[in-house]
Amino acid sequence: MGSAPHPRAGEMMTGAEMIVQVLVDEGVDTVFGYSGGAILPLYDAVFCHNEATAGSMPLIVPANEQGAAFMAAGYARASGRVGVALVTSGPGATNTVTPVRDSMADSVPIVVICGQVPTSAIGTDAFQEAPVPSIMGAVAKHVFLVTDPTRLEATVRTAFEIARTGRPGPVVLDIPKDVQNWRGAFNGSGHLPIPGYRQRLNRVGANKLSESACAALLAALERAERPLIYAGGGVINGGAAEALRDLVHALRIPVVTTLMGIGAIDTSDEMAMRMLGMHGAAFANYAVEDCDLLLAIGARFDDRVAGNPAKFAVNAKFIAQFDIDVSEVNKVKHVHWSHLGSLPEALTALREGARRAGFRRDWSAWHRHCDHLRRTYAMNYDRASTRIQPHYLLEEINRLTRGEAIISTGVGQHQMWAAQYFDFRSPRLWLTSGSMGTMGFGLPAAIGAQFAMRDRVVIDVDGDASIRMNIGELETVTTYGLPVKVVVINNCGDGMVKQWQKLFFKGRLSASDKSLHKKDFVKAAMADGFEFSVRLESKADVPRVVEEFIRFPGPAFLEVVVDPDAGVYPMVGPGQSYDEMITGEFIASRKSVEVVPPGESEMF
Amino acid sequence: MRHLIAILLQNEAGALTRVTGLISSRGYNIESLSVAPTNDPSISRITLVTTGSDAVIAQINSQLQKLVDVVTVEDMTTGDHLARELALLKLQVAADQQDAAAQVVHRSGGKVLSTEPAWIVEIAGTEDMIAEVIATLSAFGEIVEVVRGGVLGISRTGRRAPTAR
Repeated sequence: MGSAPHPRAGEMMTGAEMIVQVLVDEGVDTVFGYSGGAILPLYDAVFCHNEATAGSMPLIVPANEQGAAFMAAGYARASGRVGVALVTSGPGATNTVTPVRDSMADSVPIVVICGQVPTSAIGTDAFQEAPVPSIMGAVAKHVFLVTDPTRLEATVRTAFEIARTGRPGPVVLDIPKDVQNWRGAFNGSGHLPIPGYRQRLNRVGANKLSESACAALLAALERAERPLIYAGGGVINGGAAEALRDLVHALRIPVVTTLMGIGAIDTSDEMAMRMLGMHGAAFANYAVEDCDLLLAIGARFDDRVAGNPAKFAVNAKFIAQFDIDVSEVNKVKHVHWSHLGSLPEALTALREGARRAGFRRDWSAWHRHCDHLRRTYAMNYDRASTRIQPHYLLEEINRLTRGEAIISTGVGQHQMWAAQYFDFRSPRLWLTSGSMGTMGFGLPAAIGAQFAMRDRVVIDVDGDASIRMNIGELETVTTYGLPVKVVVINNCGDGMVKQWQKLFFKGRLSASDKSLHKKDFVKAAMADGFEFSVRLESKADVPRVVEEFIRFPGPAFLEVVVDPDAGVYPMVGPGQSYDEMITGEFIASRKSVEVVPPGESEMF
Repeated sequence: MRHLIAILLQNEAGALTRVTGLISSRGYNIESLSVAPTNDPSISRITLVTTGSDAVIAQINSQLQKLVDVVTVEDMTTGDHLARELALLKLQVAADQQDAAAQVVHRSGGKVLSTEPAWIVEIAGTEDMIAEVIATLSAFGEIVEVVRGGVLGISRTGRRAPTAR
C-alpha cells in the first residue's frame, strides 16, 4: 500500500459505492451473486460502475446463492485470490451458509457480502430477515455486522485482510440497506483495529525456523532410515509448493499428500507417492505404515487420514509438524517437533540449513522400497470388464489433459476416483470439498474457476447424485458461454453410500439407489443450452467420445453410464488403522484383511 | 483439571456469542462466565471457568486465539493468581437468630445490605468460602435465593496480563 492518497479520497459517495470502490482497490475482477431487496443499492452501484468502466467487474448470476458462493470459492481455490459473493438478506444469506462453512473447513479465502434489513428493522422479524451474524459467526472465520456507516469502508477492507491472511478463510459482511444508501465522504484508506488478530499474525509471520530447531530436525532425519513427508492443503494455501519441491529434491524424501494437498507436488515427480488416507493409494498408505520419521507439512491428521490416531504412522519414531495454525499442533496426534510459521520460509530455511550443514543422507534403500510398493500395490481396476469402469474413463480424460486441467468434483466415489486417477502437475488444479464433503460443489466451483483462469481447461467431474444438488448451474455455464466441461459419472445413485451399505449394512440400500429415476441428464443439459450433450454407454466409444468432449470449444456435457457396482479401493474403514485396509479385487494387498464393520460410534 | 481463563475481547457486536459459541460447538463445558468492560471501553474481559484434560484446555486456549475479536487469552491457572467471587444471598432469618447470623456475615467480611422484608447479604471471597458461609447461614433461617457472580481472576505479577502465546 502506497502512502499517496486515494484518487477518490474526499469524494461524497453512497455506502454501496464505497463497497464497490474497495472491491476495485482489492483487485476484484469478478463478483458472483443473486439480487434481492436488501442488496439492491449495492447491485445498482455495481451496475453503474460497470457502465462507467466497460464492464470491468462482471456480476455473475447463479441459479441459487449457494452456487454464487461456491463460484467465489472455486475462483479463490483456482487463483489464490479472494472470491466475492454478493447476496441479499434472509434466504439469500442463509443459502450461502454451506459454502461459507465449506470454505472455512478447507481454508478458502472468500468474502460474502449480505444485504440486511434496515438497521431500524433488525430484530423485528422483518421480511427476509435472518440473524446472519449469529448464524455465520458459528461457521465463518469472521463476520461483521456494519451498523455504523462511517466504519463501512474500513470494515470492507478489513474483511479482505482477514480472509487472505494467516490461515485463509471466509469473511461475511452483513450490511443493512440503510448503510448501503448512506452518503458520506470516501476516505480511501484505513482498516479496523483488530489488535489481537494482527499481533498473533505478526508473531507467527516473524517466527523463523531457528538454527537449533533446524539442527534438531536434521539430527532426527540423520537417524531416520525411512523418512516420509505428509503434505496437506496448507502447502497449497500457503504458497509453499515450490519450496516443498525444492526441499524434496534436495533431501530426496518421498511425499504422500492428503486429499487437499493434491498438487502440492507434481504427481508424476519421482518422489511423489500420491494420496494417503481412507481411499489413499495402497502404496501410499504402506509407506506411511513403514516410515520411521513422518514430516507433516500443512496437514492436520484429520479423521480421513488418521482414522485411528494411535495407530497412524505406527512405526514412526519421530513425527515433526510444520503449520501456521497453533491449534493444529498436538490436536490429534502428539508430535515430537513442531514449527509454527510461514511454510515457504520455513521449508526454504530447512533446505538451506541442510545445505550449510553439509547434510547428506543416503536413503536409497528406502527409495527402492517405495518403488517396490508403487509397483506391487499399484492402483488398478477391472480392466477386462465389458462395462465402462469409471477409472478407465478418468484415465482416458487424463491422457488428454496430462495433469494440466483444472478438475473440480462433487463428493463421493467419483471424487475419490478423480483424486486417485488424475495427474496434477501443479497446485490449484484440484478443487474439491475435502473437509465438509459438500455434494453439489463441483459445478459452481468449476464455473468460478473458469472465470479466474480463462485459458485453462476446466472439467467438473461429477456424480449423478452430486450434480443434482446444484444442477440449476448448468444454465449458468451456457449463459456466460463458458467452455466448462461437465462429465457426470452415472452409477445410478449415491455410490459411496451404497458402498458403505454393502460393506457395513448387509447391502440394505436405504434411500441410495436411483436406478428407477426418470431423469435424462443429456436432455437436461440440452434444455440448458449445451450444444455438446452426449451420453456414453459403450466402452468401445470411450476414447473417441472423450476426445470430442474435451476438444469441444464451448460448454460440453457428457454423461457416462458406468458399472454401478464399481467400488472405491483401497479403503481404510472409518476409525480403523491402515493395517485394516482392504484393497478390493484388483489391487494387491500385503495381507488378507477381513472386512470388519467399524465400531458404531466411528461410523461416519 | 479446573481452569480459570481470562479473555480480553474487543467490544464488537456478536463477539461474546462467538466465544461462547466456539466453546459449546466444540463440546467444551462452561462452569462459570463473567463479562464486563475493562478500563478501556473498547475491550471487555471475560473470565471463564472450565474443566478438562490438559489437551482439551490447550485446544480451548488455541481455538480462542483464532477468534478475530480476541485480544489475549490467559490461562490464570498456570500462574500465581487470585480468584474471587461475589455472592448476593436472600434469606429469612428467625428473630432469635439475627445476632448470630449477623456475626457470621461480619466474620466473613460480608455485609448485611438490608433486613426487611428479607435479609440481603453480600459476600465476596473464594468460592469455597462463599459455599461455607451459605452452609453456615442456612442453620439460622431459610435461604431464599443465591445469586453468584461467577469467578473473577487476576494474576499477581506486577505487569499487565501477558499477551496470548
